[in-house]
Amino acid sequence: MYRSAARRLLPAVCRRTGHFRSKAFPVRFSAPIIHPAAFSAAAASENARNHKLNNFEASNSSSSSSSNEGRKPRVTDRPKAHWQEEQARVLQASLRHVISLGWSDAAMIAGAREVGVSPSIVGSFPRKEAALVEFFMDDCLQRLIDIIDLKEDLTNLIPSNRVAKLVRIRLEMQAPYISKWPQALSIQAQPSNIATSFKQRAMLVDEIWHAAGDESTDIDWYVKRTVLGGIYSTTEIYMLTDTSPGFAHLLSVVDFRDTWAFLDERVREAFDLKKTVQEENLDSVPY
Amino acid sequence: MALRSIYRGLKKNNLLSPLCNSCSHLHSHSTSFGYKEVREEEKSQMVGNVFTSVASSYDLMNDLMSGGLHRLWKERLVSKLNPFPGMKHLDVAGGTGDVAFRILESINNVGRRAMRDIHDDNVLDETQIFVCDINPNMLNVGKKRAQERGFGDNKSLVWVEGDAEALKFEDGSMDGYTIAFGIRNVTHIEKALAEAHRVLKRGGRFLCLELSHVELPIFKDLYDYYSFSVIPALGELVAGDRESYQYLVESVRRFPSQEKFAKMIAEAGFDKVEYENLVGGVVAIHSGLKF
Repeated sequence: MYRSAARRLLPAVCRRTGHFRSKAFPVRFSAPIIHPAAFSAAAASENARNHKLNNFEASNSSSSSSSNEGRKPRVTDRPKAHWQEEQARVLQASLRHVISLGWSDAAMIAGAREVGVSPSIVGSFPRKEAALVEFFMDDCLQRLIDIIDLKEDLTNLIPSNRVAKLVRIRLEMQAPYISKWPQALSIQAQPSNIATSFKQRAMLVDEIWHAAGDESTDIDWYVKRTVLGGIYSTTEIYMLTDTSPGFAHLLSVVDFRDTWAFLDERVREAFDLKKTVQEENLDSVPY
Repeated sequence: MALRSIYRGLKKNNLLSPLCNSCSHLHSHSTSFGYKEVREEEKSQMVGNVFTSVASSYDLMNDLMSGGLHRLWKERLVSKLNPFPGMKHLDVAGGTGDVAFRILESINNVGRRAMRDIHDDNVLDETQIFVCDINPNMLNVGKKRAQERGFGDNKSLVWVEGDAEALKFEDGSMDGYTIAFGIRNVTHIEKALAEAHRVLKRGGRFLCLELSHVELPIFKDLYDYYSFSVIPALGELVAGDRESYQYLVESVRRFPSQEKFAKMIAEAGFDKVEYENLVGGVVAIHSGLKF
């Protein structure tokens, strides 16, 4: 998917030299998000890199199916990515331990023990803690997509409120882990992990704009996503030090009221800026 | 009618079986011992002789042949394994204990201790690292080295004499299985892989460090020259045994390529089979997961 992003960016750059306004329609990031296995950025990059593994899986299942002729063909019933499912289960269980143990080996070992799998499996994750963080990011994105599909009242709001609400919903998913979130951010910022975390944020931002009804087909598409990426990141960081109390919420004492106020301000500013730029462009059109 | 024909069939097989027994000597499978072809029964005996004679200078020769690099390779193997406290690990063909010591040190090291919680400390005592080797001389050298390093009384280290093709451990009892520079000496590689698959728990990892094939053009020629000219001479000089090191070099060439070996591992039932080349393919670490 990273490769396809580059492919999309390059034609836009090339065309810009030719025409001032390109009519190309950039294919949405969200388009490939149909098949759950392909959707996960981590899994997709792994699938592309470890293409040879699929050959081994195929030969493995075919050789074991031929040896299991008399017995019930259990191996062939299992889908090819069985070990990927198991890994996902371990990661899901590990998330429950993150609050106490942080985004670390220890949480993953605890998660593996919970699922009944040997903790050795932790060594097989390509970048260990990063795998856990990336899994969480993918999981949150999937939940956001589900919420978008269910919620119909988004269309009643004006675009800026829609965007703010979606960012708020997404950030609230991180709220339970807020005490350990700085660690997750530092893991995402490490050089070996930054490519994947950038990809995941790009997908997230694209999804939010898509749900907010964005239909731009030119440089606007990139500008909007960059700006929203910036707003999202700054709000996320603001949230780390926000201790504003909410209303008498049963589950959490901290309700991040200040964060949401900050978010609304930033979104409004971004939309005002856009209006200003548009007015400038109109003014500069020669009559 | 059907029953009678089946019975006749069985009788025919019984009649043939004494004939077959005498045939078996003529048709016994041969395998490779370096570039020589030998009978399978003989191979393990010959390998045994090789290691009995090199045991005392094994580690010194490793250092000389690889220029000390073998230490880095083993470090890489252990870091890929990612050992944890309470782990039950089996190191096969690990005679002199290099990999086992590193795993033990990794589990016990101070840095980790700082990050641990109370639960881990209790679990630490459950750690068990089995060092299995078919050759008692190699195990003795290993036990001596353990004494020197201070692991002599460590309950976690267990020395076991055994055959990689017929391990005496229970099914699903190991979290990890490593075999460093040992699998090419095994007569039936598939059997060793099958045994590895058997003793591992669900989620257990198989890791194999082995000398492998180099494909890079100029480097390959340099490596071949080094292997066939320098190493046997070194063997003669340092260990007084040119033959054994000639066998070593030849057995590396006869070992399956990285891809082929990875396929063999997958056929043994492992998932997520991958390999990593070190030093351009001189050494490869293959890994697999059991589910």
